[in-house]
Amino acid sequence: MDTKEMDNAPRSPTRHYWRKLWSDVRKDWDLYIALIPGVAFLLLFKYTPMYGVVIAFQDFNIFSGIADSPWVGLEHFARLFQSPKFAQVFWNTLIISVLKIVLLFPLPILLAILMNELTKMWFKRPVQTIIYMPHFLSWVIVSGLFIDLLSINGGLVNRIIEWFGGEPIKFFLDNSVFRWLLVGTAGWKEAGWGTIVYLAALSSIDPQLYEAAKMDGANKFRQIWHITLPGLVPVILLMFILRLGHMLEAGTEQILVMYNPVVYNVSDVIGTYVYRTGLGEQNYSFSAAVGLFESVVGFILIMSGNYISRRTLNRGIW
Amino acid sequence: MRRNQIWLSIVAVIAVLSLIGCNGSKSGAGADGGEGDGKQLRQLMPFERFEPNGDAVAQYLKEKTDYTVKYEMLPAENADEKLNLLMANKEPYDVLKLAPAQYYQLVSSGALEPLDDLIEQYGANMKQVIGSESWEGARYEGKTYAIPETGGGSGTASYALVVRQDWLDEMNMKAPTNLDEFVTVLRAFKEKKKVIPLTGGKVPVHPDIASVFGLTTAWMERDGKIIHSVEAPEMREYLAFMSTLYKEGLIDSEWGINTADKSIEKVASGKAAMYSPGWWVAPNLVNALAKNFPDAKLGIVPVLKDKAGVARVGSAGNTINYFIAVPKFAKHKEEAVKWLDMKFDKDIFKGIAIGEEGAHHKFEDGVYTPIMPKFADERSNASSFLTGVDEKNYPIYWQARLKKNPVVESYFATFQKNAEGLLVIDPMSAAPPIPDISKNLQRLNKYQEDTFINFISGTEPLDNYDQFLTEWRAQGGEEMVKAANEWYAKR
Amino acid sequence: MKTELKKTTTKPSTIRISAGERVFHALNYIFFALVSWTTLFPFLNLLAKSLSSEEAVLSGRVSLFPVDIQFGTYLYVLSDAKFMNAFMVSVTITAAGTAIGLIMTAIAAYPLSKPRLRGRKFFILMYVFTMLFSGGLIPAYLLMHRLELIDTLWVLFLPSMISVFNMLIIKNYFESLPDELEESAKMDGATNLTILLRITVPLSLPVFATIALFYAVGFWNDYFASMIYINSPELKPLQLYLKELLIHSNITYQDGGHVPNIDAVMNTTPQAIQAASILVATLPILLVYPFLQKYFVKGVLIGSVKG
Repeated sequence: MDTKEMDNAPRSPTRHYWRKLWSDVRKDWDLYIALIPGVAFLLLFKYTPMYGVVIAFQDFNIFSGIADSPWVGLEHFARLFQSPKFAQVFWNTLIISVLKIVLLFPLPILLAILMNELTKMWFKRPVQTIIYMPHFLSWVIVSGLFIDLLSINGGLVNRIIEWFGGEPIKFFLDNSVFRWLLVGTAGWKEAGWGTIVYLAALSSIDPQLYEAAKMDGANKFRQIWHITLPGLVPVILLMFILRLGHMLEAGTEQILVMYNPVVYNVSDVIGTYVYRTGLGEQNYSFSAAVGLFESVVGFILIMSGNYISRRTLNRGIW
Repeated sequence: MRRNQIWLSIVAVIAVLSLIGCNGSKSGAGADGGEGDGKQLRQLMPFERFEPNGDAVAQYLKEKTDYTVKYEMLPAENADEKLNLLMANKEPYDVLKLAPAQYYQLVSSGALEPLDDLIEQYGANMKQVIGSESWEGARYEGKTYAIPETGGGSGTASYALVVRQDWLDEMNMKAPTNLDEFVTVLRAFKEKKKVIPLTGGKVPVHPDIASVFGLTTAWMERDGKIIHSVEAPEMREYLAFMSTLYKEGLIDSEWGINTADKSIEKVASGKAAMYSPGWWVAPNLVNALAKNFPDAKLGIVPVLKDKAGVARVGSAGNTINYFIAVPKFAKHKEEAVKWLDMKFDKDIFKGIAIGEEGAHHKFEDGVYTPIMPKFADERSNASSFLTGVDEKNYPIYWQARLKKNPVVESYFATFQKNAEGLLVIDPMSAAPPIPDISKNLQRLNKYQEDTFINFISGTEPLDNYDQFLTEWRAQGGEEMVKAANEWYAKR
Repeated sequence: MKTELKKTTTKPSTIRISAGERVFHALNYIFFALVSWTTLFPFLNLLAKSLSSEEAVLSGRVSLFPVDIQFGTYLYVLSDAKFMNAFMVSVTITAAGTAIGLIMTAIAAYPLSKPRLRGRKFFILMYVFTMLFSGGLIPAYLLMHRLELIDTLWVLFLPSMISVFNMLIIKNYFESLPDELEESAKMDGATNLTILLRITVPLSLPVFATIALFYAVGFWNDYFASMIYINSPELKPLQLYLKELLIHSNITYQDGGHVPNIDAVMNTTPQAIQAASILVATLPILLVYPFLQKYFVKGVLIGSVKG
């Protein structure tokens, strides 16, 4: 790396490396001590049980355990990829995930910035709390709520549509609407909750910057563009790269509660498909294989996301 | 200021941690309980919403049998997963009360103890009161691994159509007796009352309509052979009929997403005219409707007849609802079977089911009537404590429970009166767990349900039925039918 | 330092506000009023249901206002010994889990926020890897068994005391703090520990408040761990209690199938009580946020950068 330093260590480069390492560690010894609890936690609770991934390559029987279950190689992966529905299900997963990322990822950022512009505390504080409340409702309740609201038998939305002379829409039973319904309800439920992490980041922006900008005659929108957004970039990047890791998890819990056979064509994702075809089977190995596939794809996406971000924006998670 | 806060939080954490420490150790001692002393047992049971260890029946059993039993419940959700973990981990339960699918899973994995010898030795009472057909249903590969528990209301009619009688009267119409009249009534509701003529949800094979087509139960006997109802040619006619109803707007367009709650709400709020409830939900339906429309009246429609004038009511039959098993790694196998057998003692069993005469129930003219509120207070959860039933007497005791609620009682009675002599019992009701059926049934039922909803709602044309049937057979249906016939032939 | 401190504090109101900005502000307020209304509605609906008679709820007549108002549901919920016990369990886990989680996570994040740390990339990857890959439930269960944590309260927060997601957020925030602070402290001979406690922690209150909230909500809402690892009824937390209440009443209403357990059927939880339970179980955690909001003040950095 540094040629001058290399020259100073005539004996051997490896030796020199260790010496440099040792002196760095000694200088910041308390920093390295601080690593220990976290790493110990990971090793004990996360990495010790990690051997469980091998059941994806076995015909796992819970009573025989991992040691005595037979190995089947890639059979479960083949079952997933070769199932006739796989292409459709994979495609649905991607579409719903991408829709959610494109439409819902920016939403909390936007809300946080707008909320930051609310100056009246008596309004801002309750709004912050109220807007994140749907996060605490289960999907069962949220789904029930929207079924009522969007019902064609006297649901509010369809009454309004009819009042304007439109045709009522069967939101839950219409293949062209249902994906948007999934995205919309997910946005309604989680956008407010998502603002919190951005609000914290906003509070770390130096208010003097705004004062200076105001003095220079910058209006609100320029201030947002030139100060607020750049201040949020690190968090946005972090959240975005992590979000990529869940690309193949398009919201199984939500979809399981909300979908019905009429809209399977557009809403059946990997998670729901695996759930339905595994009913009554307790097939641990197949679920593990599907999970492993999702994880590998997610890991690749996170790695690439971080790499690209490092290359283009010169910052990333690591 | 800030430093104070930090100290405060540290103290708080330590306080909380010590609290947890106490709790943890306390529970550890409680869970292990009965080492050494054979009079202590540990039972795992399905989830019900009450605390079993404090229940009056638990107390009663302790007094009568002299065994101290610690009851634990599976969670309400993911029960199978938890059961598997407990078994894989060899939790030392002595008695397990298992749902049929759970029993099959455990018995086929070799986690259960064969009970033939123990029952022979200690099971005098149970051998006497449980019928041989039920015992047959608990056998697996020639051995008995469980005590079968049949239900009280088995072999009875569960569903019937109910209709807004006041609207019928208003339109000068009578309750329908066959499909043509049924359609006429539905049309009248749609045109004159502008309501959803028939609501309901999710279950695409509507028991009251399908049985008119001869589709009474999931499995049916044809010429001495067993077929599954999806293979019957009548299924196509039925689906075609339903899909014309759907197209015409005679059944709820939200059929695919309705829950039972939603259906009840639609009837109770005057949005729908007909629905097919189980008798057990009748009180909710009746009370909610009365609240909204004090003048409204619900009528129970007699069983519809087919073109030949024949009416039928399907019934799952005297099925085994639970299997009472002993795991291989149980610590007190003999004691467990001894205890279980004591619970079949004539008096003790009666005491579990309906309590003591004079205190919990009255006995007049051959009918048991509960004494409220003591019966509700002390025997509300009695069914959960059953570990097999006296098959002759339990259906009689069971009827006392219906009397807790007059609406339930009258709906149950009317359903049974209407169905008298019309019951068709599922030929597979007495079958033991058969591997090829157990592993496929749940998945295929879901597949059938989903596809049928699409057929009815017109999302998929009925011409695809053959395709569906081929796929259904390929996904395990064929195996299932074959296994069913093998059992039926040997029976 | 880029920005010189200007004497603006004396007259900030003199800056004129354009008409466009005024419209923007008005619209912004209207927008948030509308959004708040939609997110508040379901809770008002639950509240109305919880205060209505069961018949009124079943017939779908309750939306915003109670019908046949009654308070018996709350009396019923709050007097249920199981509920109060579950409530205490939840409070204990949430308090302990949040405190331990926050401390452990901040300690883990601090070294990783320093680019000079050797092996930093390796350690971060080690964390990120566990976000995606896990060995599944069975080995985890066996591990808890071996650690003798099954059926204790420990199991509900020890295995989840460091969330990688939260750790990365804290680390990110630490990284955004100006390096100058650390450098000047180093000049004065401060150790890393002193810098963490004296400089970093006081400046990071907003992110700590956020992460405390995330942990608190996470522990409060978790039911899966308790469902799998807890057997004793006295150790069941509130969400499990709630889950059992809600799911159970769904099961007994099922269409089709066999004759259900008649006792269970006739003991179904009325919807009004369900609504009351949901509210009582959610309210405590909703109250945490307003309490933490004071840490989201703007400009925590001002004073410190100056000095």
